[in-house]
Amino acid sequence: MTTPILSARDIVKTFGEGHTLVRAVDGVSVELQPGELVTITGPSGSGKTTLVSILGALLRPSSGEVRIDGADLSALSDAELSRLRARSIGFVFQSFNLLEALSVRDNVLFPATLAPGGTRAAEARADALLEKLGLTGRRSALPRTLSGGEKQRVAIARALINEPKLIIADEPTGNLDSKSGQQVVMILHDVARDQGKSVLIVTHDQRVEEVADRVLWLEDGTLRDRKAEVRDWVRDPVCNMALDAWTSTIFADHGGTRFHFCSDRCRERFLAKPDKYTGHESGTVIPLERRPK
Amino acid sequence: MLNWTFRELISAPQQLLASVAAVAGAFALVLFFEGVFAGESDQIVALIERTEGDVWVMQKGVGNMHMATSFVSDWKIDAVADVDGVEKVTPILYLNSAIEAGGRNWFSFVVGLEPGDGRAGPWRHAGGAQLPGAGTAIVPDIFASDAGLSIGDTVRIAGRDFAVAGFSGDTFSMANSITFVTIDDLADTMSSIGTVSYMLVDAAPGVDPAILANRIMGEVEKVNALTRAEFAARDYSIAVQMGLEIVWMMTLIGGALAMLLTGFIVHSHISERERELAVMKALGVRNSAIYGSTMLQALAIGALAFLLAVALMLLAIPLTQWLMPKVSLAMTGEALIRTGSTALVVSLVASVIPVRRVLSVDPVTAFQQ
Repeated sequence: MTTPILSARDIVKTFGEGHTLVRAVDGVSVELQPGELVTITGPSGSGKTTLVSILGALLRPSSGEVRIDGADLSALSDAELSRLRARSIGFVFQSFNLLEALSVRDNVLFPATLAPGGTRAAEARADALLEKLGLTGRRSALPRTLSGGEKQRVAIARALINEPKLIIADEPTGNLDSKSGQQVVMILHDVARDQGKSVLIVTHDQRVEEVADRVLWLEDGTLRDRKAEVRDWVRDPVCNMALDAWTSTIFADHGGTRFHFCSDRCRERFLAKPDKYTGHESGTVIPLERRPK
Repeated sequence: MLNWTFRELISAPQQLLASVAAVAGAFALVLFFEGVFAGESDQIVALIERTEGDVWVMQKGVGNMHMATSFVSDWKIDAVADVDGVEKVTPILYLNSAIEAGGRNWFSFVVGLEPGDGRAGPWRHAGGAQLPGAGTAIVPDIFASDAGLSIGDTVRIAGRDFAVAGFSGDTFSMANSITFVTIDDLADTMSSIGTVSYMLVDAAPGVDPAILANRIMGEVEKVNALTRAEFAARDYSIAVQMGLEIVWMMTLIGGALAMLLTGFIVHSHISERERELAVMKALGVRNSAIYGSTMLQALAIGALAFLLAVALMLLAIPLTQWLMPKVSLAMTGEALIRTGSTALVVSLVASVIPVRRVLSVDPVTAFQQ
């Protein structure tokens, strides 16, 4: 049996006290093996950011145990946690979060300044990553001149530069068009499969779920594995996006039928002119052979 | 981190320039005020430094010229001249007085010279007679220009009228100008008969002025003798002491202003970059490294501001001479060291101001949209 890269047991995180006490994360346990790609999804306010912050050694839990690469985070000082993040975890953010004053190459090399050997030892690795991610021609560019897809690829290269065993990505496709989003999904998939890294992705993107080994659903602070569950696929009547009616949290009833939506915006558009959208198969179960791959 | 620190600082050049200019303004103000003070102080000792005489002899108990009065009986001129190693003695009479001209009063050193002896007289001729004659005065050219004086016009010194006979250069400052008259006229004005104020003594070749000064004090009773360098240093020291508190106050005010500006700039900088700091913390950068980076940025702003302030002063000196000839402006090494040290302290203290802000940046916010 392999040792998990990430292991969290009975994680609880509360904010406030007394009447204002909120249990943002409530008894969550999760493990990530090397080479495994796991997604965490859930409705807004379900505690995803809190959980991922705890798993990423950015936030200490109120109780429970988190181990990354065997290290018990509760036993580490703040400085040791910083060192662990620099060396063992790669972060990819929805807003890319590149350092605006640095070039693409310097952004990629930035975490290397925090690792043994410094940037000099990482230069060849940075060039190789830039080439692999199709960014060689943009190595001297500043972030403000890059497209969203390019920025996210730079962020992925930055996350990989110190060769961490764990990659944590927060909505990595959230700000990308479908083509760039697909590209990023496949890169993260390759990182897990080819490089044996554990990849944890917080996402609402169906495409990521399709390549994930496990899909974890977080709601009201608790987590459950949803990959094996039978899903109830429906389409958003406004944008036609495939949705799982079982987990969808945005819906409206009209003419005796429940319609599910990908966003409040679609729901509002639907409610403004429901007759415009009720002509097709919206809200109905999509036959098995037409389920999204 | 070092790379980010400096690239981030220059990533908005206009903002950096404005920041540096603002802080430089405060430092330049300190340097300017100190420069004016130094210029005035230099002028206080101009007579001692620019005239001849290796040793100055004065009344016993007197050790200065500025803010002092000295009376030495005139028979001691010969006594000093007889001391071994003395080559020449030049007596002067001296008075601190207001000079009235053009409806205004100017504070001045009034120096009474032996007729025809220019050894203690004007060191730069700027028009008219070179030395004063009976009933006439040699006044500073800037003073004459400001008061609208021409040759033959009248100035009033200690209640007596003198005709302007000539002009001298490098003898004017706002606090101290130097006017030359004959020793007899000044003695008459002061009702001082049989006395001189100081004696300028030339040492014979090969005689050490310090040894000569001691010898004079040993052989001539009730006189004090100082080498020119020591005498000038004591007067300069008096001038500096008189203005030291003002200089420190100006340095303090300018420094405080610079510190507030630098602190505000660094704090604003941190506030604007809060998200990047959160990202850096998430990536593993420690608070101490971010704080170090902030300190380096503050130091860079302070250093650039100091250099700009020095450059502004180098520009201000000739400009002031051209536009405001009455103002004596000088930049001393001491002022540079003091302002440079202030810049260093200001930068270090200012970088402490945003510490709480740096510490309060939560790396979790890197996940927020």
